[in-house]
Amino acid sequence: MELFLDTIAALRDFMGQLSPRKTWDKNGTRPWPKGGPRNIVLSEDLGLELGSPEKESVSCLLWTEQPGLVNDGRITLIGPDFPESRGKSLPLGKVVLAGVHGFNEDNAYDRHKDLEYLRYNLDLKGFMLRAVSQFMREWCRVSTEALRAGFNARILGAALMEEFASQEYVKSVEVLYITSSTADVRKLKEITGPAEKIIGAMNKMAEEMDCDCADCDYQDVCDEATELKAMRERLMQKRKKEA
Amino acid sequence: MDNTTIMALCGKGGVGKTSVSALMVKLLARKNGRRILAIDADPAVGLATALGLTVRKTVDDIRRGLITDIQKGTPEDKRGMSQRLDYELFEALESGDGFSLLAIGRPEDEGCFCKVNNLLKQIIADLADKFDIVLIDGEAGVEQINRRVMKTVDHLVLVSDTSAKGVGVANTIAHVAVDNRAVNFASMGLILNRVRNVDEVNDIRTRTALNIYGWILEDDLIHDFDFKGRSLTDMPETSLSLGAVAGVLEKLHLLS
Repeated sequence: MELFLDTIAALRDFMGQLSPRKTWDKNGTRPWPKGGPRNIVLSEDLGLELGSPEKESVSCLLWTEQPGLVNDGRITLIGPDFPESRGKSLPLGKVVLAGVHGFNEDNAYDRHKDLEYLRYNLDLKGFMLRAVSQFMREWCRVSTEALRAGFNARILGAALMEEFASQEYVKSVEVLYITSSTADVRKLKEITGPAEKIIGAMNKMAEEMDCDCADCDYQDVCDEATELKAMRERLMQKRKKEA
Repeated sequence: MDNTTIMALCGKGGVGKTSVSALMVKLLARKNGRRILAIDADPAVGLATALGLTVRKTVDDIRRGLITDIQKGTPEDKRGMSQRLDYELFEALESGDGFSLLAIGRPEDEGCFCKVNNLLKQIIADLADKFDIVLIDGEAGVEQINRRVMKTVDHLVLVSDTSAKGVGVANTIAHVAVDNRAVNFASMGLILNRVRNVDEVNDIRTRTALNIYGWILEDDLIHDFDFKGRSLTDMPETSLSLGAVAGVLEKLHLLS
């Protein structure tokens, strides 16, 4: 099942235009200590803020069943890395691209949600994350102490990849971070906009009992994505059976 | 919340609860490396002013925003709702000198939104868990603390002036807390505020069974700070009120 191929193509095109960039492989990333239950970064400990409510922020999860579209283990950063941005508040763009298998009309929604929530499992000392999937926003804080100890985008990306690797249906993962400028993050937001609509349509189908397409804000999205229509039909059949 | 000490201050309106709370926050925030969360659960949001902060967003604003979206039909599952509340609650956290502040805001609108309210309480509890000391400046009634903030506190601190009404309300709150089990607590006591002399304290001892944690003399300096809208965190170290409040905190082993 594929829902995001057009977005992935547009993303690749966009990434090709951006520079300078740093890329790393997740293998060989130094381990980072766990934060524990009291891991919170308050203003007094703050070393770097990314995607705060005052700044542009976009965080998107895309998956595909085509393995060739994902550079497994690659972490790309466009813009300054964390240690060199001490004391700053930067915009944040983030895309996780997952190579998956076995996604279908019955499981795609739940699996997408499960993958989205994996970021909450991150437990890295001096790093804190808050996010709202509905608005595709992610807000990260890194403590001064963590920056001093060398916490960077590679460590963060590698830790996130580890979380994804724990899912048996995930075969590969690639992570992109953009911290370069508000304009770049806005452009990323524009590119991932169609994916946001598809996810919004999936949410609506899953959460609302009434699937009246004539009144639905997502009608145009479903008209273009046949997989969404199939998901809706499967859901309606399931609800009929349950009734 | 094994490692977090939670203290809630309650008492009749106008007895100086917020001033006492602000002085406590000032004293608690002195110790480096300790995380202090002040929760302003009074609808008037007076603690923020007393601490020299401006509140941009209250918990009630967050709650209303989410309910409006739910009513508009914006789809949101429980995990999504929880994630959003967590994000917005952190956004609402104001930072002071050595402490953070969360304002609860005005009382809830009519109507039952148990799902949102329960989630909010859970998220406030999760947030509080990350701090060493949480101080709640409450409304008069202890039930509001339970309903809007949390059910269990370590120290329930009742504040009263020397008026019969003030002490009567403190006794009533204690009664509701104990007999109606409105809030679970480990210790409970009374702070007397605006005391003119020790005879007043001795007289009040005959009218209440509450343990008197300490008493604060009538203080023109606090009046002056309030009058000018100055933050009580700027109170001079030589202030008698500050010394009296420090005595209470020492008694509660919160300054060690």
